[in-house]
Amino acid sequence: MSKPTDERLIAYLDGELDDGERAQIAHWLEQDGDLRQRAAELSESAAQLRAAFDEVLREPVPERLMAAAHGSAAASATVVDLSAAREQRAKPRTRERRWWVAPAAAAAIAGVIVGIGISRSVLPEPTPVASVTPPPTFVENLGGYYRYATAATNEATSFDKLPQNFRLPDLKPWGLEFRGSRFIMIEGHEAQWLVYSTDNKALGSVMVFVGNSPDRADTGVTFGTSGNVNVLSWRSHGHTYAVTGTVDTHYLWNIHNDLAYQFDGI
Amino acid sequence: MGNLPLSGRVAMSVSVSDQLIAVLPRMRRFARGLTGSAVEADDLVQAACERALTRAHQFQEGTRFDSWMFRIVQTIWIDQLRARDTRREEAEEEGVHLGTDEPGRRVEARLALEEVRNALQDLPPEQRAALMLVTVDGLSYKEAAEIAEVPVGTIMSRLARARVALQARLDAGGGLRRSTENVKADG
Repeated sequence: MSKPTDERLIAYLDGELDDGERAQIAHWLEQDGDLRQRAAELSESAAQLRAAFDEVLREPVPERLMAAAHGSAAASATVVDLSAAREQRAKPRTRERRWWVAPAAAAAIAGVIVGIGISRSVLPEPTPVASVTPPPTFVENLGGYYRYATAATNEATSFDKLPQNFRLPDLKPWGLEFRGSRFIMIEGHEAQWLVYSTDNKALGSVMVFVGNSPDRADTGVTFGTSGNVNVLSWRSHGHTYAVTGTVDTHYLWNIHNDLAYQFDGI
Repeated sequence: MGNLPLSGRVAMSVSVSDQLIAVLPRMRRFARGLTGSAVEADDLVQAACERALTRAHQFQEGTRFDSWMFRIVQTIWIDQLRARDTRREEAEEEGVHLGTDEPGRRVEARLALEEVRNALQDLPPEQRAALMLVTVDGLSYKEAAEIAEVPVGTIMSRLARARVALQARLDAGGGLRRSTENVKADG
């Protein structure tokens, strides 16, 4: 037998050769110091490769993957009851929030015609965000959902039926059409993932998340990014809300105001 | 997987979900090696879970569930590569925590492992997949060949090219030697 090639040597190290060939290579290794050195280097690099990825096994699995693994089984097993809490906190619409409506409509018209840039001049500047920063995993999860739904290769996303009492936010004034919703888990609680899209490529899709968070205190709006996805989130009256998109934060901020207005009014 | 109840859709979905959860960490590791990015990897795994649940009826009883899932992950990944024309966003710099309280040797070891991960990303996609399946996950050549849907000989040659190329890159960067020394020193 001629000196083993790298391919045969690697197959030997991987335990993929039959007894006869294994014995031949073992014999070569006994006699050839260079081959032994080569085998040692290859073994070492394989060990390093394994070590480089071992830590992934020790990481906690993100909840969005746990939810994805549960899939429709989890979705059908649980009914999202967002309506009860809304009824509890339903109040007359406050005057101080109405002032957002006109700019919102104005921005919608401007945005559709000339794109997002003009909305900055029409709309009020955002107020500073709260100092409470959402956990990175929360932002990453929402960013992941966004990328998943907008991935070019993703097959047509299947949507779940909205819970019966769920009042869908109307974002048509922003040129956004509701595409569908999915049941997901956010921070261990049920949530609805609402997907809105538009023909205006400058804006792209916008996604809204509404989840139960009975054990969380109210927060102001916080801002985060996951890759190229901007995430605005806030907690109010036992719910977590978020709006995500690749469009700039001014636009998302104004959608947030519209959403907050609508959710408070529902 | 031979005892997976296949009689009812609901029962099957629950069982597939359980199997999915069990294999999630390995799927994440495989996807991390393929994509080189934690976020992209989790997106990929999420898509694979979705696909597995919608196509649970296609799973063949008596075959390995983990292999089936690896095949789904790889298929989606290849589709994405084609769609994106192999454009790859910059890998995240996570995993390297400079300026921490870690001892110097451990930081160096982490950097060396990062170098190994970067070297993997320099390899062609099919070689990367072969390495992740066989060298990292410990599957046999035959199992890896089934997942990649290529002959065993192809896996063998891909692996050989990949291992040699990886070795050369690590030798050039000095990462292997450094990481080995430091890992040993750290015990």
